[in-house]
Amino acid sequence: MNRQDQNGYMLLYRSDEFYNRLSHQELQTLMNENNAWIERLTAQGKVKPGRALERRGAIVSGKDGRFVTDGPFAESKEAIGGFLLVDVETLDEAIAIAQSIPGLAYGGSIEVRPLAEECPLDVRARELAEKEQLATV
Amino acid sequence: MNTQNQNGYMLLFRGNDWIKGLSPEEKQKVTDQWMAWFRRLTDEGKAVAGNPLEREGKIVSGKNRVVSDGPFAESKEAIGGYFLLDVASMDEAVAIAQECPGLPYGVRVEVRPVAPECPVASELKREAEFATV
Repeated sequence: MNRQDQNGYMLLYRSDEFYNRLSHQELQTLMNENNAWIERLTAQGKVKPGRALERRGAIVSGKDGRFVTDGPFAESKEAIGGFLLVDVETLDEAIAIAQSIPGLAYGGSIEVRPLAEECPLDVRARELAEKEQLATV
Repeated sequence: MNTQNQNGYMLLFRGNDWIKGLSPEEKQKVTDQWMAWFRRLTDEGKAVAGNPLEREGKIVSGKNRVVSDGPFAESKEAIGGYFLLDVASMDEAVAIAQECPGLPYGVRVEVRPVAPECPVASELKREAEFATV
């Protein structure tokens, strides 16, 4: 399922809409910092362009996806506001990049997750199969 | 909710605990279904990227950039993977989410429109428009 042909890390940015509470000057400063930050990392070849998510959407659940409900994505501090794919070798390096995100000065958090080479479901199924095989030996 | 969006949609698959209690055959079946689903969406030009995530990682939070552990392993909220969809409407993205093979086992799919730009930039633009009125 790894279409990006990369094993790297995904940074998931969680925050509420803190930018609505910032002054014009603060917004401008943050945007300049953001731009400089992403330009530097892009020039170093460490990130793919990130994307922001709209503060709306739906949750689909239940058999056949019969339940479709709204967020909340706007006011929640846990809501995901965007993501970035980071192309570095180690978790420590990915964490260091997460720590340098300018917006963290206003709160929020970054989830740093390794992209899986193969689906964890596959791995688990294989482990169980191997265990069973061993048991029968 | 049927707003057009040229930037596509993101599907976030939530729930990492549903796999417990499935037999190896069931697990294999769901995995195969999931892969076939992704392959079909890719062939149709509807999925442009996708990846499972490892059940590990870290959280970096707040002004002090504190690093803490998951939990990512056995949580109903934890994100297990994502797809990026190149479809034009929320309805279409939701219809695709409704095909997710994990749904019968309790997986929940978050469907989110990708924004045209960073919200900080949008907020600045809004302010600028307001100022010129």
